[in-house]
Amino acid sequence: MKAEPKTILYFLSNYFDTIKGLFEIQSKDGFIKRERLHQLLKEHDNAIEPQLHEYKILRKVGEDFEIRGVYFNFFEFVFNEFRPLLPETIEKYAHSIGELFKKIREGIHKDRNILMQRISDLYGEIKDFSESVEKNTLRLLVETRELKSNVDKIDYQEKVRKASFWIDYYISPLNQILDVNHSQSITNRLFDISNYVNVRRLNFDDEMVRQQFEKTYNFLVQTNDDLLRQSKILTNELLPLIERIRTENMILTGWIEFLKKPHKVQVPQVFKLFRDYPYSNDMYYNAKEYMEQFAGDEVVIIEEQDVRASMWLFNKEHYREMMMSKLPMNNFFDWAGSTLKAEYKTVDTDKFFALTTLLFEEGIMLEFDPEADKKVVRTTQMTLRVPPIKVLKYGIS
Amino acid sequence: MEFPRYHLDIVGDLMDGKFILASDPKFIELKNNQQFYERFFKESFKYELELKSDYGYILSYETNEQLSRDICIFFAILCYELDKDGKNFLEELQYAEFELEQIDNYFDNSPYSDLIKSNKQLQDPESRKQFLNTLGRRNIIEKSSEKKFTFTQAYKVFVDFASDFAKGKLGESDEPMADSDNGARIIEEV
Repeated sequence: MKAEPKTILYFLSNYFDTIKGLFEIQSKDGFIKRERLHQLLKEHDNAIEPQLHEYKILRKVGEDFEIRGVYFNFFEFVFNEFRPLLPETIEKYAHSIGELFKKIREGIHKDRNILMQRISDLYGEIKDFSESVEKNTLRLLVETRELKSNVDKIDYQEKVRKASFWIDYYISPLNQILDVNHSQSITNRLFDISNYVNVRRLNFDDEMVRQQFEKTYNFLVQTNDDLLRQSKILTNELLPLIERIRTENMILTGWIEFLKKPHKVQVPQVFKLFRDYPYSNDMYYNAKEYMEQFAGDEVVIIEEQDVRASMWLFNKEHYREMMMSKLPMNNFFDWAGSTLKAEYKTVDTDKFFALTTLLFEEGIMLEFDPEADKKVVRTTQMTLRVPPIKVLKYGIS
Repeated sequence: MEFPRYHLDIVGDLMDGKFILASDPKFIELKNNQQFYERFFKESFKYELELKSDYGYILSYETNEQLSRDICIFFAILCYELDKDGKNFLEELQYAEFELEQIDNYFDNSPYSDLIKSNKQLQDPESRKQFLNTLGRRNIIEKSSEKKFTFTQAYKVFVDFASDFAKGKLGESDEPMADSDNGARIIEEV
């Protein structure tokens, strides 16, 4: 990829809304139809399709497109919107974790490097497993709260149908994976691994391997706690879903909706204390209440104004080709000015300077006479006095 | 010039941000002299007097937004957890006596743990204890002992907010472009 990493990040930031739109289409449909892409770009008044390909954000699938996995995962994380994974997809970790653990035990006194690699892979698989479970639980919580809140006012039968769907295909199977009472559950296997690793981190001969066991053990302790928490959410909150959606309450709907974005909603007015006398009985508490407002490093969400500044991206290749087709030329700046004027009706200073960078391209030769009279170019913001620069094709003209 | 009975205490309490409750003898005086107090607070401080059937309070031109937001988050999570626990949360708020341990249990096991941990007033049992003291000083709860309390009628300010907010949301789903009648207080900042 030719683009600088920073350029890509600026691009993602500048075209955030368009990219979020693409993410939403793919989340819903699984891919992005060509027509939908063009429609979305038109709606947002962006002509950024070349960049979406150049920065490898989109991949062509037949006539249509999809967001590449690495970007899609990043967007899922940033938007906190995860695809629910089928439990059978998560269950594959049971196999890989079990297999690696078996190999570690069998090869504990064999090749040291392979052993270390296996421990490291085991660590990675457990991490991926734990993250998948957490993402799934988060997503299931969002889905089930939607049902409870029922802002879309779907009828009870439909609610029960949806709840049954989530329970049958996602919640119950996931619960089995995590159920400590189930001897074959991954959670139980992780307990076994944890016990084994605990012993090895203390008695293994090689210090480097011991350290790796130590790291894996600490991680397993934390993972087991996390999984226990996820399991509790499943049993307490998600499995009794049908029972829970039986009742609806306007106030609870309000609270669930409020809790989605609690820092963005205007809350009821509460009297603000302004003056206090040092001899007042409540001085201590009032002062404390006042100070507490500034003590917290609360989450501050600053949403930038949606600046729809039309960001112009310099398509260097396009202008380079235009320049090359006009060679030889007697005055580069005349060409630059007239090209911009023909395309945009005005000569914007930034665009003019961007075109100037073409002078440093390969394949051309420059000639200029320092004695020659300077020419005046008027841009939208300034008047520039520039020397006439002759541009020739390298080696031919 | 003659002032209503308890005048000093009424003004003192309201200026301390307290709710005056129907169970308090001062409430009758406040209610009987509603016009006087409305003018009194308006002319003296530009404050608004809000008098409901069972509680009264004043509003300053600047709001203590942080406290209000924390109280809303507190009620939201508590109602959510009570409902999950199979309880009628409105009846609980109205009649039940709560124990700090029970509150801790709900908050420590809540799936809203990220939100709770990032909130200085709700993040752990000690902060919640201090927070409940603040609610006590404002007469939003009434403490029956160090570890037990009940909610006063002032909880309605926040529960009404949730109800209005839901109406706004439900209105949105009906007519996305229509102005909801939910008043300025609950308009979502976009």
